[in-house]
Amino acid sequence: MKNLVQFVIACCLLLVMAPLSAHHVLGRPAYSLNEDSNTPPSMQMETQIGDYFVTYMVYPAFPRAGEPGRINLYASRVDGGEPFSGEVTFRVRDDAWFGGGEPEVLGVQAPDDNVFRQGFVFSNDGDYIIRAEFQADGEPYQLDFPLRIGQPSPVGPITVAVVVLLLVLIGANLYQRKRLQRDRIRAAHKDECSNSAGEGGAS
Amino acid sequence: MIMTHPGLPAAWGLVVIGGMVILLLWAVITPLPGTAGAAVYSLARVPLLRGLVRQLLASPGILLGLKLLFVALFLLIIYAGLFGNPIPERNIATVLTWNIWWAGLIFSVFFLGTAWCAVCPWDTLAQWLVRRRLWKLAEPNNSLNLRVPRLLRTIWPALFMFIALTWLELGLGITTNPYATAAVSLLMVVMATSSLAIFERKAFCRYFCPVGRTVGFYSQLAPVELRPVDVQTCSDCKTLECYYGDNDTEPCPTWLVMGRLKQNSYCTSCGNCVRSCPHDNVAWRLRSPSVEAVQDARPRHDEAWFMIGLLALTGFHGLSMMPFWEGWMSDLARILKDSGQLLVSFTLGMFGSMAAVVLVYTLFVLLTRRLVGKTVPFWRQFATLAFVALPLAFAYHLAHNLNHLIREGAGLTAVLENPLGTGLAPLSMMEKHARHFDMLISQQTLFAIQAGLMVFGFWIAVQIVRHRGRVLLADSGQTGGWRLLPMLGFVVLMTGFHLWLLSQPMIMRM
Repeated sequence: MKNLVQFVIACCLLLVMAPLSAHHVLGRPAYSLNEDSNTPPSMQMETQIGDYFVTYMVYPAFPRAGEPGRINLYASRVDGGEPFSGEVTFRVRDDAWFGGGEPEVLGVQAPDDNVFRQGFVFSNDGDYIIRAEFQADGEPYQLDFPLRIGQPSPVGPITVAVVVLLLVLIGANLYQRKRLQRDRIRAAHKDECSNSAGEGGAS
Repeated sequence: MIMTHPGLPAAWGLVVIGGMVILLLWAVITPLPGTAGAAVYSLARVPLLRGLVRQLLASPGILLGLKLLFVALFLLIIYAGLFGNPIPERNIATVLTWNIWWAGLIFSVFFLGTAWCAVCPWDTLAQWLVRRRLWKLAEPNNSLNLRVPRLLRTIWPALFMFIALTWLELGLGITTNPYATAAVSLLMVVMATSSLAIFERKAFCRYFCPVGRTVGFYSQLAPVELRPVDVQTCSDCKTLECYYGDNDTEPCPTWLVMGRLKQNSYCTSCGNCVRSCPHDNVAWRLRSPSVEAVQDARPRHDEAWFMIGLLALTGFHGLSMMPFWEGWMSDLARILKDSGQLLVSFTLGMFGSMAAVVLVYTLFVLLTRRLVGKTVPFWRQFATLAFVALPLAFAYHLAHNLNHLIREGAGLTAVLENPLGTGLAPLSMMEKHARHFDMLISQQTLFAIQAGLMVFGFWIAVQIVRHRGRVLLADSGQTGGWRLLPMLGFVVLMTGFHLWLLSQPMIMRM
């Protein structure tokens, strides 16, 4: 009976919530699935900049090099919720640690049903920064968000960890050997001195 | 949309408030307690249990088996985090680390004290890598055995590490990122190993580990302790194998002498003292969960800050999962022109809320000082009364984590079937809601336990104020329990704040 009640409550909640999207926390990525289709999941994030709440969606959630993807951006005023209706410029730059390079313009988009849609195809895997720029009330707005193309390298953290561990362990080992050697030499010196003192005393 | 767990209903809140009022009246009316020896019951005297406990501690096989199990799970977490599905609810790295271990760890303290430290995979891997032995004493121990610099021989490094871990967890959101979870896991192994290779004994466990010290300090409230069976035997002991070790056993990793041990804070339950004691004089015993924080533990300045830090950070964990926190961050981001992950706003909010707790505590200590008298230096009063933070933090931490564990732990079976989440899509809203209702215990039982925990924390905090306050009053040459009313006010304020947090809907972790 209790399970039935819980099931009925769950169904009621689902009826209310079905049209809504993923579980969002401000500034955190969330992954969602369109339950009515077999398409791959998308990644969404809600954040804000100045007087605007911004929601952007990357489709597919895990884009790959050579495959087309899309960014959808929606901006609305924090006070009142009025959607932004100007133009948004999308730029991209390589977020590599060394030699990131200059940003490139991906495109300038006008709103389509209040949503700014920007397509992309990346030729190489890697970490990129997408910058969405727009002007509102005479003020410039620039919103940066990371975009990962391809899977992040699993070897990176393992390599760093193994290299650091090897350096520490080998370093400690070498230092300890040196210290033991030094102690042995010191002990040998001490023995030699005490022996010679003993011999001197005996003579 | 934001999915939330329901908060504690008003009826249960009233039950807690009723309990608080009764305990408060009792504390005000009854005279302050005297010094009384606390009742303990040694497990070494229980015929059947004695053998079991002794076997567990003395036999390398059982402990080694447990260590192997936890190391295997830990390596699976790293592998799944790096190579598995990046969707958090589909990957065992995030589910096992944050929904099960991180939320459940505190419950192990409630029943088993610092037992987690005995099987901790960070330390086990460090031990294997540096000592190059699965078990027993390694000679030489392959460490430089340097002394930890005096500046670091406090609990401050552990506090800073705990703050950093909280920032990574709640600010950067590594709880929803399997890759980052694996990377942080690797980082912890690197730090534990480096410390073991450079410093003498287990400096990482004693001074740096945020988890070990949190577990250690909460263990002051655990109903179990590892202590001498006969104190006189320890007093007569001249060889101190518990401290120095013996031919087969390593010395105490955290520099503890069993005969002088008064608090669980730094014990790692490794059992070295049990194995090395030639008099068979170390055993587990049961005790009142409040006795250590109430009277046995010695106040120290750095430890006081750690305990206040624990109180501030546990409250902050709850605060940052409230839907209104999003509104606050949004307002702050507007002022600061922050965007993206709103990390600047989050960092300011985190340090602001921590500072608020420290300031409020300081204010109440100052008020108490006005009534108790100024004979005792302020910093001694600050350190002595800081024990009150422990039960308040512990009770709220348990009640808050119970929500995560009971309401979010349902996904464990699914990730155990497919740990890497290969080929799986994100959970649909229907699946998320189904999990939400698939609770391990009924919701009313959950609320009852949460309410009980709040009263439990309040009760122990009141006892700490009365016992520790009596010592301060005696040192100041004062009498009259009413002089401790400001500190009781602090206990009421913090319990009230925690109760309010518990009664709010809480944002689901994933």
